[in-house]
Amino acid sequence: MAVPIDVATGPGGPEPTPAPAVAGKAIEGRSLGQIAWMRLRQDKVAMAGGIVVIFLILVAIFGPYLVQNPLTYHENLIDPTFSRPYGTLGGISAAHPFGVEPITGRDLLARVVNGARVSLIIAFLSTALAVGIGVVMGVIAGFFGGWADSVIARAMDIFLAFPLLVFAIALVGVIPSSAFGLSGNSLRIGLLIFVIGFFAWPYMGRIIRGQTLSLREREFVDAARSLGARGPYILFRELLPNLVGPILVYSTLLIPTNILFEAALSYLGVGIIPPTPSWGGMISDAVNNGIYSVDPMYMIIPGLAIFITVMAFNLFGDGLRDALDPKSSR
Amino acid sequence: MRRRRLYGLAAVGAAAALTLAACSSSGSSSSSGGNGSGAGSAPAFNAGVTSVVNPSTHKGGTLTFDWRAAPDSFDPGNTYYAAVWNFARFYSTALMTFKNCPGACGKTLVPALATAPGVASDNGLTWTYHIKPGVKYQDGTAVTTKDVKYAIERTFDRGVLSNGPNYFTNLLGGNAKTYPGPYKDRAKNLMGLTAIDTPDATTIVFHLKAPFSDMDYLMTIPQSAPVPPDKDTGASYQTHIVSTGPYKFQSYALNKTAVLVPNTQWNASMFPTVSQLPSKIVVNMNMNPNDVDNRLLAGDAQVDFAGTGVQAAARAKILANPTLKAQSDDPITGFGWFFYIDSQVAPFTNLACRQAIQYAANHLTLQNAYGGPVAGGAIASTVMPPTVAGYEKFDLYGATTKTQGDPAKAKQLLQTCGQPNGFSTGIAYRSDRPTETQGAQALQQALSAVGIKLTLHGYPSATYFTNFAGVPKYMSSHNIGIAFGGWGADWPDGYGFLSQLVSGPSIVPAGNTNIGMLNDPVVNDLFTKAQGITDATQRNAIWGQIDRQVMKDSVIVPIVYAKALIYRPPSLTNVYFNQAYQLNNYAVQGVTGG
Repeated sequence: MAVPIDVATGPGGPEPTPAPAVAGKAIEGRSLGQIAWMRLRQDKVAMAGGIVVIFLILVAIFGPYLVQNPLTYHENLIDPTFSRPYGTLGGISAAHPFGVEPITGRDLLARVVNGARVSLIIAFLSTALAVGIGVVMGVIAGFFGGWADSVIARAMDIFLAFPLLVFAIALVGVIPSSAFGLSGNSLRIGLLIFVIGFFAWPYMGRIIRGQTLSLREREFVDAARSLGARGPYILFRELLPNLVGPILVYSTLLIPTNILFEAALSYLGVGIIPPTPSWGGMISDAVNNGIYSVDPMYMIIPGLAIFITVMAFNLFGDGLRDALDPKSSR
Repeated sequence: MRRRRLYGLAAVGAAAALTLAACSSSGSSSSSGGNGSGAGSAPAFNAGVTSVVNPSTHKGGTLTFDWRAAPDSFDPGNTYYAAVWNFARFYSTALMTFKNCPGACGKTLVPALATAPGVASDNGLTWTYHIKPGVKYQDGTAVTTKDVKYAIERTFDRGVLSNGPNYFTNLLGGNAKTYPGPYKDRAKNLMGLTAIDTPDATTIVFHLKAPFSDMDYLMTIPQSAPVPPDKDTGASYQTHIVSTGPYKFQSYALNKTAVLVPNTQWNASMFPTVSQLPSKIVVNMNMNPNDVDNRLLAGDAQVDFAGTGVQAAARAKILANPTLKAQSDDPITGFGWFFYIDSQVAPFTNLACRQAIQYAANHLTLQNAYGGPVAGGAIASTVMPPTVAGYEKFDLYGATTKTQGDPAKAKQLLQTCGQPNGFSTGIAYRSDRPTETQGAQALQQALSAVGIKLTLHGYPSATYFTNFAGVPKYMSSHNIGIAFGGWGADWPDGYGFLSQLVSGPSIVPAGNTNIGMLNDPVVNDLFTKAQGITDATQRNAIWGQIDRQVMKDSVIVPIVYAKALIYRPPSLTNVYFNQAYQLNNYAVQGVTGG
């Protein structure tokens, strides 16, 4: 995801635009991907965002093996009278660099790192689901038009008008503690991925539909068609490679939205079941107990984690869009 | 029964908004409170638990109550909130009440509308009360026992007045089981409730279907306060209550603000248990909990109506400041938090497996989950809290000595019960309650040390007892062996606290509160025995025996005797904690100045 140059190694779409000649160097043809990668490399902000994203992914994968057990209680670190950690800034110390959780004394670094895994798993998989459905529906609507387009476009309108938050809360409420062969948190994570992903696809669908509509009228498609190419060939060889850019860009921008949505659901109590940590759940705990007022760090640290993650994805996504499609307005 | 105090406690976490302690240092704004006689105890931390703080007979001023919630109803016949039962004495007069004195003395039964405690005859099946002659409503009409009978009759129509307890339906003989209440009966045969006689205007006789020795306690519930039949409008009576107490409603904007002013028809010499000091009483409802605390600290209000203690922010502020700390009390309220072990769910059918949990639980982390030693409560070793009549101090499993649990002992008992490597079971809790959510995690962590794997099952409060934890079939079919709960008694003796929790006959298929499914003949026999004893001291000894037997059976693991950090502004007079209402005694309070 972070290496858009892969895009260009695929079959080229339209004729590559000749790169402007650079003085003193041999003139050579560059693919679209190479140009995009060049532009992206020059965008410092986007590169910083990308590095943070890669770091977060590494943390989510390997972090939980490096930190303490996020479930171990350290009740001796908590001042029971005030329910807050001893020491300053939420009990920050060498042993607990992010401090400890109020009430329980669980290591906050461990909980934030484990929370990253949960948040990113849900965000990535729900985005994959949304992109998968969105691309299929968008291409069908845009390429075939007619009644298929009407049906899908109306369906997207309905989904966009749906009170998603209410639906999510209700759905999580009625699903029993074990269903579909899953139980506990694996069921809950699956459910969150489904709810978030299934309702986010129209955003992707609309963009893809629009792109497909404009692409299918372009000269290179006409040329392919006049040479006798048929539907599937045009779809897979001519149209899809040109859609990779927007798909990549909007996936990157959809991920932070989904992280926030997962946090919101956890905050509302329909997210991850405790004691498994999640960022939204931690903020929810801080607010529900009124603990934020005696130990603000407990709210600030998971809040910062969400903030940094969402910002990194957004900056990277923006940079990626600029690099792939410099004509689009900023 | 259990509903009484739940509302206030549930609301603690619900609405903590982002008012980050914006109030200035509030210690300086307090006026000197020496307006009255001033001979009482000097304000000190916990002074109000055992003595009257700031005693005064000063009249005048406005007494302001702030409430984060709103009442189920102010109607004395239609409320089940402890705070409203306490507050209702300002405008209603039940047959009996509690003595106005601090400490254990406050549980003493004294007559209010009645002239003396009830007289039992016919082997405890008949109870007779006489009411004080010359008592008047706020409009000057005389109160008769017919009005008391009517007040009780109207509570039988659960379709109209759905909130109060239903002891009368279950205890009275005659047509009590089928009586539909006066709203329907009026139109039909005008028979009335045959179990209550009113031979003359000052006598009322109750006929029970089985002996019930706690009758005087039952008469303290405001359901027995007289209601004039021609002024009753059912559920909407709460908007124009006809007072027999020291105050009457001047206005009541439903669930927003109530204003009470002195009732000129009230005769102070007849009712020494309540007083008429402030010239106005205001109740503000549905307020933000942190706003309530800030207003109390700033002196804009005097009493938190819910009385369940301040929020975390105010707690930190009060305890860190010696002046503010001296103006607060931290009483044991009489409410108990605990978790049940369902003796019908394997492997808890085995006593040793249940007892292993008592040792495996880490009482310290559980106490922290409920708010710690000040806001949460004291670590408990008995089912009944110390404020309940009949409480006996004992600690069978070392909860108060080995507060972090005794895993070695637990493992030993697991060996005995044939589960040396532990087992898996579920735990039910109310997921909308931060304390229980934290408690479930603390217990899960503690039990994992001895190999017992707990799966968390969070349910909404509203349907917790009707659909989940209170349904024995649900518990066993979902392999949920542990459930969190709490209890506050309707009246402060062992019957009120224990009967619904541990007596065999109280087990019901839904809405069950004996979640431990205890049907121990020893316990059941003790309950029957107690109801035949009219002497209170002898009866109270039995409650302690029941408590001990229940702990031996190990179907309940007590967590804490709940405490509440209550702030008393310096302008508030006659402040003390009343063990019977589990709140400060509202009906004797006054304010300085004005």
